[in-house]
Parts: sequence; structure tokens; C-alpha cells
Amino acid sequence: MSDEHTPVPSSPGSGGDDLEHGGTAVRRDGRLFGVLAEYDTPGELVEAARKVRDAGFTEFDCYSPFPVHGIDEAMGIKRTILPLLIFGGGFAGTIGGLLLQWWCNAYNWPWNISGKPSWSIPANVPIAFETTILLAVFTSFFGMWILNRLPQVWHPFFRNERFNHVTDDAFLIGIEARDRRFDPVATAKLLTDAGAITVERVHLDPDPEVRQMPKWITAFIVASTAFALIPFAIAAKARTSHSAEPHIHIFPDMDFQPKYKSDQAMDLFGDGRENRGEIAGTIARGSLDADDTFYRGIEHGGDGDHWTTAFPRQIEINDQLVRRGKNRFEIYCTPCHGHDGRGMGAVPQRVAAAGGAWLARNLVDASNPVAINMPNGQLFNTISNGYNTMMGYAAQIPHADRWAIVLYVRALQRSQNAALDDVPPDQRTGMQMPEAPRP
Amino acid sequence: MSVLQKSLHPDEKYKAGKLGSGLSNIGLGIAAVFLGVSIALGAAQGDHWKRFFYAYVIGWSYIFSICVGVFWLILLHHLVRGRWATVVRRIAEAMTMAFPVVFVAGLVFVIALLAGYKDLYYWAHPDAALCLEKTATGCHEYLHPTLVHKLGWLSPEFFAGRYVVYGVLFTAMAAYFAKKSRQQDDSGDPKLSENMRVASGPAMILYSLLTCLAAFDVLMSLAPKWYSTIYGVNFWGSSCVGGFAALGLLVLGIQRTGRLTHSVSPEHYHDIGKWMFAMTFFWAYTAFSQFMLQWYGNLPEETVWYKYRLFGEWQWVSIAMLVGFFAFPFVFLMSRWTKRIVPSLVFFAVWQLVFHWLDLYWNAMPSYDWTVQQHGAAQIVVGPMTGNTAYHHVGFSPIDLTVWLGLVGVLLFGIGRNLRGNLIPVKDPTLGLSLAHENL
Repeated sequence: MSDEHTPVPSSPGSGGDDLEHGGTAVRRDGRLFGVLAEYDTPGELVEAARKVRDAGFTEFDCYSPFPVHGIDEAMGIKRTILPLLIFGGGFAGTIGGLLLQWWCNAYNWPWNISGKPSWSIPANVPIAFETTILLAVFTSFFGMWILNRLPQVWHPFFRNERFNHVTDDAFLIGIEARDRRFDPVATAKLLTDAGAITVERVHLDPDPEVRQMPKWITAFIVASTAFALIPFAIAAKARTSHSAEPHIHIFPDMDFQPKYKSDQAMDLFGDGRENRGEIAGTIARGSLDADDTFYRGIEHGGDGDHWTTAFPRQIEINDQLVRRGKNRFEIYCTPCHGHDGRGMGAVPQRVAAAGGAWLARNLVDASNPVAINMPNGQLFNTISNGYNTMMGYAAQIPHADRWAIVLYVRALQRSQNAALDDVPPDQRTGMQMPEAPRP
Repeated sequence: MSVLQKSLHPDEKYKAGKLGSGLSNIGLGIAAVFLGVSIALGAAQGDHWKRFFYAYVIGWSYIFSICVGVFWLILLHHLVRGRWATVVRRIAEAMTMAFPVVFVAGLVFVIALLAGYKDLYYWAHPDAALCLEKTATGCHEYLHPTLVHKLGWLSPEFFAGRYVVYGVLFTAMAAYFAKKSRQQDDSGDPKLSENMRVASGPAMILYSLLTCLAAFDVLMSLAPKWYSTIYGVNFWGSSCVGGFAALGLLVLGIQRTGRLTHSVSPEHYHDIGKWMFAMTFFWAYTAFSQFMLQWYGNLPEETVWYKYRLFGEWQWVSIAMLVGFFAFPFVFLMSRWTKRIVPSLVFFAVWQLVFHWLDLYWNAMPSYDWTVQQHGAAQIVVGPMTGNTAYHHVGFSPIDLTVWLGLVGVLLFGIGRNLRGNLIPVKDPTLGLSLAHENL
């Protein structure tokens, strides 16, 4: 072996030389793996790479601390197909994202949200955009690893001390012995002629164990993979089995916080309740709803309490209030009662179209004048507290606005049952009486 | 290929010579012919010059946006200590030095506005915010709740004042960078690069604000009841598409005259193409962001702007924008080769320059249909964007094209005036890196 070494400049401590120098013969060399040449600058590296390529070598690589411009061309490396893969990944992401949304929203579980279509491209674009990016980036990241055959935990050149500087300041070319043009002497000479500072041989370690991944790394990967599967295994078991045990609390201090919530029991107070109610004999600021007419629509008469037929004195009836009432009515009431108050708003229509029935009171029906005959106070009370399936709106609509709605309902009732005589004479032009009077 | 630094090729022709005067003469010729035709057409239109001024505002926004787009490259180049763009920076500087000419050209509609012309921006009417609602008993009058507050900002005098401020500040910023760059040609002092880098930060902030405000004022105020806060950003994205396309074409044109043949390589065209690609996507991203929120929110005062662009005849223009300004160039510019093969890059640059104009047209022209009706003592503005969308026509007029081309002539005149001396910052410390630039 030593005769092979003579033409090659080498330095102590490098892989191939321990035996020759004899001092610390702790490392034995196996088969020759290749030669490693160091160059001074990135420019010389590129020039040398070009010469190596021109000499017909294919099993070689350049090592540098940073990407070197022009090295791909000099080494004769073909352009990567990664961009095409990324395009494919991104395209798959777009299609997948759209399919996902179509399947969830339009196919598997269509759900009517405010009458919006369950399948609508503009609404799906943001998600499709995100999945496009996601799959494109995944393809880019993992594709790079796979195409570069990473992770590579061990390489024969690691045995060479100079190679340690490759992430620091070394520019190296390594030609592997498996190249069919490889010749230990001639190849080293080629590299030297191309301007190498040093050329060294690198041998494999005779012990094949060294070339393999350390067992503890393999064990760690297997163990951590198995560990990572535990939550999935638990979830899979829970989905397919029954258990009388309580829930597993992964974060018990989040699930059981050291504080009291409304209406919990508490020993601190005499009544055993955590809630502290209003102090007897007091009323919270702004909550003195003493005026029954305004707040409840009730009038106290000599013959007892009854619904008020007028409007409370706080309400000033004018054009503006009718407009306010119309505005509130169209927000809160038209979905069921309809714009004309006839009880066929969008919701009853849609339910009817789906084959069901959703009853909303016809507020303006003169043939069954329940709502027309209701006193103002009762209409107000119905808005506040609801009626049959209609929920109360006290929480959403302030009192004055409820009275505005009552006023607007009265206006609707007038207008929907109006005769030509109700129209001022100067505005009757162009109006025609219906052929038959309204039922 | 392997070197990190290169010096200027000894045979390189980097002096402008008669290039600038030739270009400005061509520009003047184009401007004179097409603006002359436009004036004749405008007079023949018999609409009190309304179409002419709408076309003029679109054309002006076009030449302004190209300067804005190119100025972005200069500012960013200094801000991030860029390298690749050094060889084309002087040409970009010449383009941004067209700002004064551009702003003088825009005085046509600003002075008309000041002189009491009300057919372009309807907010110039004193009763612009007055609206009518028909009721049973007659007409209910009310002031438009947002427009009434905007009329202070949108007054002809304040508008003209802001316009002057934009013109002065854009010109001053562009002149600063162009002047320092030329000083370096003489002295070679690297400190000048440092000065420009320090100035580019504040200039970038000012530039962004001014660009947004100018877009709000000149284009968005054509529909003053509508509003979108991303409007200026979207305009800027479109501007950069146009700016990089124009820069690529101009550099190529200069190379065709035998200048800079050794310095500007496919690597530089590749980077210009990359920017064009990136800003194409950015434009689409902001345009969709603006559309998506207003479409989903479905508030009448916001969706009305899209209603008159997505239905009726205008929907075909909108589809053309989606396909032509985004999908087609996006898919094809994605590839490395469409940007490196010069004829292909030229194709896409011209394509995007046309669609950039269509973008501005699409922004402005649906706001064209409005009239004024007398209501008592007040003048009520009816429209734009009311009534059945089927009655809103694109109504393309030849004057739209002639004014556009005429103003492009004005832009070429403005650029040509500044193509003089060295076409490359010959003593810029990063020139060597830029000449040796290579895309990995």
C-alpha cells in the first residue's frame, strides 16, 4: 500500500496516512474510496471541476461552505426536476383543496348558512390557496431531501480531517474510486494539475460497523416513532370501544381551574351559593323599569291591568320613527314575516320548498285579523317575549325600537288593506283599483 | 461563468450619445399625433369632453404607474443593498426622472378641475352628497353618510394641492437618487452608495404613502361613495407589473442600438421577468383580497362596485382580467425559460403592459355613467353604478386608445430627456457583482 502513496502529497492525521507514519496506528484502512483535493478559492474550484468533468469523470462531487455560482454548469450537472415536482405538488394542492371543500360543504354535509350556496368558488379560493402552498412547500422540502438522498449520516470522506473544514473555508473535489476512469495516480495528478493545494486518498474503514448508522440512532428513531404513535393508538381504541372510565384530562389544570363559575356551590357564604344576588331594596343603575306602559305595554286602569291601545308618552310618532321601525322590522322580522308582513318571508318559503312547514303569523290579514286586533301593548309584549315558536327579542331590540316596530306594523296593516279612498286625491293618478277587493 | 466579479467589457458602448434625444423626439412625435387626434375626437364627441378626460385620467395613471413601478426597483435595490440591478439602474433612474414630465402632463385634468370642470369627478359638484329616495309622499332627501364627510378631502383646491405635493415629492425623491448616482460616475466615492442606502428607508415609506394616496385621489375618487383600503396597494402591484415590463423592453431596445450588449445578460432579464411574475401574482392576490372581503361581506355600499363589474358587459372585461392579467402570464412566467428567452420575455412584457392598461380602464370606466339632474335648487348626481347592470355598457371609444398612446409618447419624451451620459453607473462599487450576476 505504501508504494501507492508516494506521488500523493499528504498530511499527517489524514485517513490514509496513519499506518505509514506509524506513530499512532489506531486506525486501519480498508478499500480505497477515492481522492480528495483541496482548492484555494471558489473560482479555482469551478475551473478544476470543469477539468474533471472534461476528463470524463461522473462519480465526483464538489464540496464548499456556500453555494458557488456556476458550479452546476462546470460539473455538468443537469438541472433538477424539483421545480416540476413542486408545480405538480402545488397543482395537487389546489385540486385537493377544492375537492376537500366540495366534499365537506356541498356533498357530505351541505348546510344552509344564510341561504349562501354550499359550493362557491370565490369562497373556496383562500383554502385552495393555502393547500396549494402547503403541498408545494412539502414537495419542495421533502423532494429536496429525497433527491439529494438526505439524510446522509455517514460518508467515507468524513474520515478525512480536511473535510471537516468544508463547512468553514475549504473548497474540495472528491472523486470516487468507483468511477470507471479512476486511477489512483493519474486522477491525483489531474487534480494537482488543476491547481489543488493538497490531494489525499481516503480509504474506507475496514470495519463495516463504522459505516453503518450507530445502533443507538436507529433505536432512537424506532422508539420515538413508536412513541409518537401512542396518541393515535389511544384515539383509535377510544373510537372502537366503550369505557366507563372518566375522560382523560391531558391538561387537568386547564379543565379544572381554581375559580368559581356562575351558579356553583360555595361554602363561604351562608346561603351556600357562589352568586351574590342584588342587594335587597336596591336597583342597578339604569334598570329602574318602573314605567309599565313603556317597558311592558301594560296600562293600569280602574278595572285592572290591560294592554295599552295607545303608544307610551315617551314615543313621539313621526315619519322618522316609522322609518326606524321599517329598518328594524326588515332586520329582525322580515326573515319570517316577510317584507309585506304576510308571513311568507325567506325562511317559511325555504322550509316550504324543502317540504316542511314553518308558520309565521300573517300580521296584515284582514280576514283573520288576530294581529290587527291586538292592542299595541300586546304587539309590544309579543316582540319582547315571543309567541309560540317565535322567540322573544327583548335581548336584541331596545324598548324604543320595539315600539317603532309596533308603529311600522300598524302602518303595514293600514297599507296592505288600503282602499283607493285612502290615497290623497292628487296622488291617485296612475293607480288602478284591483279587479276584485282583497280578501 | 465562475467569477464573482467582472469588470466592464472594454468594448462596451455605455454612453447614451444621441439615444436620449432620439427617444424623446419619437415620444414627442407620438404624443403630438395621438393627443392631436384625441383632441379632435374629444371635440367631436360632443359630450363636453367627458370621455376625453376619463381616458386622460386612465392614461395619466398609466404613465404615472410605470414610473412608480420602476422607482420601486431603485428604492428596494438601495434598501437591501441589491446587486443584480446595478447594470439596469441608470436606465431605471432615467425612467423615474420622467416624474416631472408626467406630473406636468397631469395638470391638464387638475387645472380643468380647478377651473370648475365638473364632468370628470362628480364630487366636484357642490351637492354631490345629496341623495334622493322616492317615498309615497314625494322625495326624501338625505346626505350620503360617507360621501358627505369625504367632500372636505375631495375638494378641487385640496385635490390640486395634494397633486402638487405628490409631484414635488416624487420628483425630488427620484432626482435625489438619480443625482447621487451620477455623482458617483465622476467621483467613484462609495460613500454615495451609503448615502442612497440611508435615504432609501424613509423614501420607501414616503413612496408607499404617496402612491396609495395618489391612487385614492386620482382613481378611487371616480367612485367616491365606494371605498377600499387595499386599493392603493392593488394599484401599486399593477404598477410594478407595468414598471418591470417597461424596464425590460426599454433595456432591450437600448441593447438593440448596440449599447450595453456585453453588460446586460439573460441573467438580468431573468430577474426583471421574476419581478414581473412576482408582481403579477401580487396584483392578483391584492385584487382578490379586495374582491373577496367585499363579496363575502355583502354590504350594499361595497358590493355595488363589483356588481357593475361582474354583471352585464363588464363581466367579460373582468374575466379577461382574470385570465389575461393573471392566469395566463402566471402559469407561463413561472418557468425559468420564459423569462430567459428574450422573445418570450418581450411577448409577456408587451402583454402585461396592455393588460396593465386594461386594469386601470376596468377600475375607472364603470364609474363613467352618471348624469346630473336638477332638483329644486340643487343638482343631484344620478349614478354611476345604479340601475340594471344590463344597461351598463363597456362603451369602448377610440379616444380611450389614442389618449393612452399619446400619453405613452409623453412618457417616452420624459424618459428620453434623461437618457444621457453613462447608461451604466460605471463606478458603482456593486457593478462588478452585477455584471457577473448569475441565477443559481
